[in-house]
Amino acid sequence: MKISLITTAGKKIIRAGPVLSECLIGSYTMRLKCIRFRLTSKELPRMTATNAVWRPPRMCDDYWNEFNHCKSLWNRFYQYYTFGTIPACQQWKDDYKACREWEKRHNAEAKELLQQSERARVAAQSKFAPVWKLRQKPPEDWHLPLNQEKPEEP
Amino acid sequence: MDQARESEQKDEDYGYGLFPKRKEGKYKKGSLGESLFTFHNKCQVMLHFALETSPYAKFLLGVMKQSGCAAYKDRHFACEDCDGIVSGGFDAATSQIVLCQNNVHRQSHMNRVVTHELIHAFDHCRAHVDWFNDLRHLACSEIRAANLSGDCSFGNELSRLNFGVKGHHQDCVRDRALRSILAVRKVSPEEGKKVVDEVFDSCFNDHAPFGRIPHNKDYVKFSSHDFQNRDRYYSNL
Repeated sequence: MKISLITTAGKKIIRAGPVLSECLIGSYTMRLKCIRFRLTSKELPRMTATNAVWRPPRMCDDYWNEFNHCKSLWNRFYQYYTFGTIPACQQWKDDYKACREWEKRHNAEAKELLQQSERARVAAQSKFAPVWKLRQKPPEDWHLPLNQEKPEEP
Repeated sequence: MDQARESEQKDEDYGYGLFPKRKEGKYKKGSLGESLFTFHNKCQVMLHFALETSPYAKFLLGVMKQSGCAAYKDRHFACEDCDGIVSGGFDAATSQIVLCQNNVHRQSHMNRVVTHELIHAFDHCRAHVDWFNDLRHLACSEIRAANLSGDCSFGNELSRLNFGVKGHHQDCVRDRALRSILAVRKVSPEEGKKVVDEVFDSCFNDHAPFGRIPHNKDYVKFSSHDFQNRDRYYSNL
């Protein structure tokens, strides 16, 4: 099994031996943290070290599509039906403008605005403490064959 | 006190009473009797159609496959006769989604039940959910399933003659989560309501893997696009 990793030196293929084989399962963020932990800093240079390799988190068209979707009549209705409020869509438009600004001029201010906005979105989603503990790997019995003969215990 | 608790636990069947065919069936699986005298074949056809065409189901299956929990129709789904009016369930002991072939007769209903149970399966795959001993965990998964599966869509609530609009979605999620808990656990409505209220804020706002509440298939398209681009997103935050 090979893992492909994009580094500042270009695409690098790393053989997944016993050290990295544990990093092939679980959620995306867990796998990424696992790979970064297990490789040395020499083998994994910082991916976002310079402005030249940074890209906006989403394509600029995605920001525009999200803005249009947000201000649509159906979305306004669903927001009112779910939360009793009208959706705030201006941030998507501001992010689209910042994205275009970055594409044209590689403006550091535009990059900062975009990063702040997306981090705020991620923070809003992780505002509440989870009820349960996340797994490091899938359940061991997920793929086990069913035992049809033996009655199942509750 | 301990003896009372022990006897309570012995009486608790964890909802398995609603799914009597989990342990034994009147007709042997694959038999002519099963084909002729139950809705088994119809359920299988509707299930296949749901897995192939429902954007919700396809998205959830894709995400679960990426997380190491690929769900296969023959192993992880079962069509069985059920008691009462229950439409389906998730059996954590066997990692199986049970579909009630005698209670699900329309394709739209099947799509919704499959989505609902896949959310339970997704939670089982990604977290240590203590289905049998921790009521908070059960409540959380039921809140998420009612929230994200379309159970509480405006159209479905109208068909149940529930005519709320402003913020009604949340009321519906609370109500349906409570009903689901009461169906499978021997707890009082007050105790059930208390547990739902305790975990509601955290679980209602947990939209994984969709990233948003998928009110219709267009929202699922956005979720799918975000999921496919998650590498770029997180590496450039």
